[in-house]
Amino acid sequence: MDETQLFEKYRLTHDVKLRNEIAEKYLFIASMIAKKFVGRGVDYDDLYQVASLALLKGIERFDERKGLKFSTFITPTITGEIKNYFRDRSRLIHLPRRVAELRVSVKKAEEELALQNGKHPTAGEIAEKLGVPEEDVLSCMEAGSVVSLDRPVDGEEDGASFYDVLPGGEDAFERIEQTDAVRRALASLSETEKKLVSYRFGQELSQAETAKRMNVSQMYVSRMERKILQKLREDLKQGMAE
Amino acid sequence: MNALIDLKIPLQSELMTTVRLLTGGVCSLVGLGLEESEDCKVCVTESLLLLKHGGFSSAHLVFTRERGVHVLIAGEEGGGEAVSSLEEEISVALLEALVKDLCIEKTEAGASCISFGFEL
Repeated sequence: MDETQLFEKYRLTHDVKLRNEIAEKYLFIASMIAKKFVGRGVDYDDLYQVASLALLKGIERFDERKGLKFSTFITPTITGEIKNYFRDRSRLIHLPRRVAELRVSVKKAEEELALQNGKHPTAGEIAEKLGVPEEDVLSCMEAGSVVSLDRPVDGEEDGASFYDVLPGGEDAFERIEQTDAVRRALASLSETEKKLVSYRFGQELSQAETAKRMNVSQMYVSRMERKILQKLREDLKQGMAE
Repeated sequence: MNALIDLKIPLQSELMTTVRLLTGGVCSLVGLGLEESEDCKVCVTESLLLLKHGGFSSAHLVFTRERGVHVLIAGEEGGGEAVSSLEEEISVALLEALVKDLCIEKTEAGASCISFGFEL
């Protein structure tokens, strides 16, 4: 059976066995093209896989009646898929090198301390062992490996991707994070404490004015304010550690 | 014409890496992006392989700065002995997929001169 007859038969029957035979016959093209794109930071095996999938897609789409040879048709199809793959990969978020390196040290220190003390170490203990700020250790523990910006936020295929929902600048992101942390910490306050925070930090009233509104002494406001700030600080610190 | 590089190279497999490095350097010099530079390297290699398959033993390679880079690769010495038509088909299809202004001069045996460009 020549090429035209082979594809004609497949177009009419859609026989999976026949498709596999065709794929095997032309797999060398996928391999040949994949090899030409090696050296751009992607392993040959990955490129070969992308090329092989493109070959299967191409077999489905090829119409021998148009008079084109399959090799001429499939080469740009595979090339296009490989180039799309490179474009998608370039949209991965990579960890900054410093964070990636520290992550390795944190992991190592965590294992050593756990073995030494028989319990999981705290971020503070790891920070002390490595001689870095505790904040850096916490950042590293938060940071995963790589996440595609195209990945749907809620796991649904049709849902919004990270690319759609992430704000443009780091400042905006940090602001949202901080606002959220403060909101969570405020939720733990009593109604009286919340009222004080609202007067003092929302409306920016003086302690005297706040005392007047709450019908208490200024001394009481001052003491309560110190107590609230201490409580919020601890809650925020605990929130970060979690 | 603003020729950046004009050289003659023997069509030997062990020289392909050198040519790819040279192409990368030229692309960087004219300010092409990473993806275009990599594509240009593939195109130059494919063109040289086409000429080699056509029986040429050396090629004349000219890089010109032209709103990016323009590459002209012509076969020299030999020619007229087509080796593999399928490989040639795949190389041509690949070049067509990667560049828009591809121009291939052919003899009965196959390609004898290939030119293309990558714009900034």
